[in-house]
Amino acid sequence: MSYTLQYGQIWPYLPRLFDGAWIALQIAVLAFCGGLAIGTACAAVKSFGPRWLTRIVNVYVVFFTNTPQLVQIYFLYFALPDTGVLLSSFAAVLIGMTLNAGAYLTEIQRAGFESRRVSEMEAAEVLGFSRLQQIRYVILPHMARVLFPPLSNHFIIMTLGTSMAAVFGVEELTGQAFNINSLTFRSIEIFSVTALFYVALTLAASVLLAAIGRYVFRARTGLI
Amino acid sequence: MLSQIIEEWPRFATYYNLVFIAKAALTTLALSVLGCVVGSLLGLALAVTRLTHGPALLPLRLLAIGFTELFRRVPFLVTLMLCFFAFQATGADVPLFVVAAVTVTLIAGAFLGEIVRGGLNAVHRNQWEAAAAMNFSLTETIRYVALPQAWRLILPPAFGFFVMFIKDTALASQIGVVELTFVGKVLNNKGFSAALSFGAILIVYFAISYPLARFGARLEARLASPRHRGA
Repeated sequence: MSYTLQYGQIWPYLPRLFDGAWIALQIAVLAFCGGLAIGTACAAVKSFGPRWLTRIVNVYVVFFTNTPQLVQIYFLYFALPDTGVLLSSFAAVLIGMTLNAGAYLTEIQRAGFESRRVSEMEAAEVLGFSRLQQIRYVILPHMARVLFPPLSNHFIIMTLGTSMAAVFGVEELTGQAFNINSLTFRSIEIFSVTALFYVALTLAASVLLAAIGRYVFRARTGLI
Repeated sequence: MLSQIIEEWPRFATYYNLVFIAKAALTTLALSVLGCVVGSLLGLALAVTRLTHGPALLPLRLLAIGFTELFRRVPFLVTLMLCFFAFQATGADVPLFVVAAVTVTLIAGAFLGEIVRGGLNAVHRNQWEAAAAMNFSLTETIRYVALPQAWRLILPPAFGFFVMFIKDTALASQIGVVELTFVGKVLNNKGFSAALSFGAILIVYFAISYPLARFGARLEARLASPRHRGA
């Protein structure tokens, strides 16, 4: 073994990693919000919608949760140009991650819809709540408490998942690590520093989410 | 897109291509099974280490906590690259499959360690104390008291993780392991349309993952429910 670690050489490139981390966070947040919108709609369909629509949603969810995200994005990125739709790598990754997240969040959110108790709704009705008040004061707080922990958990998983954008040449955290690696050839050094960036990023997100869950939604979250 | 697929299909569905895909599917499975079997053992070891008491074993406990937290918070791709370059730095001529297998084992160990720990923690404190009163050692307590009660809680999420893990191994294609995703890229490079080559790979993944996911859901319904029924 003749490899000696030289962290000094990658020091000047550190700002690029911060840029990358910022992009990774943007992808995670955008894809999560998109996924949340899809997930809410699909979960509502699965709980209250007509049968035929439920079937379509089921096909979507089952297909996207049973195939790898990486291959889904490959498909989007390379197959869509054949039909005339040209996507940038960033757009392909974002759409792929959003669709994937939507499928997982559908399953998570359905649990929230189905956890509302009939007796609570009846109590609200007895108290003379309007439909809007029922949603605002009974259903939403209850759902937030039930759903917050699994949703924040999935957000952390998605933050880690943004690393596969590097495969498509997006210059997020891992993409920048590949760039710096090809400039300096200090592979172990750069990827270990990148790993620490991810640890810091997800730890920060975990702590923030746990605090939000505790003080805003009164939900108990573990740290991840 | 569809007419293109129909046009290419006779060229695509050759014996050679099908064997190529089938072999790659076996590699994907081998990688997942290896990761999960060795990862389970590693996870059990990590979970038990974190259950120990006493200042003598404190460094070991901290190591186990550090290991779990690290590999759960670093993306698959970055861990893979670290392993790849670490093996390269030793100068040993290690097959790429081994590099990928070590990576999946490390990651599976960290995640399964948390699942096992959760299961063992759910065993009531009285049970641990009773075992201690009967002078059981830690290994005996886990072997005869904790695990027989905890496996029902451990198995469903462990299985869920396993199903998820098969799909994560797709990233092993990035260092050149010839598994399903890699084969998708090769077929695409050979001139087949992306819709056909990646579509076929998606279907193979689905064929592996869907039955396992269904089985996992049944397992969850059968094993984990007695606790919720209050039995």
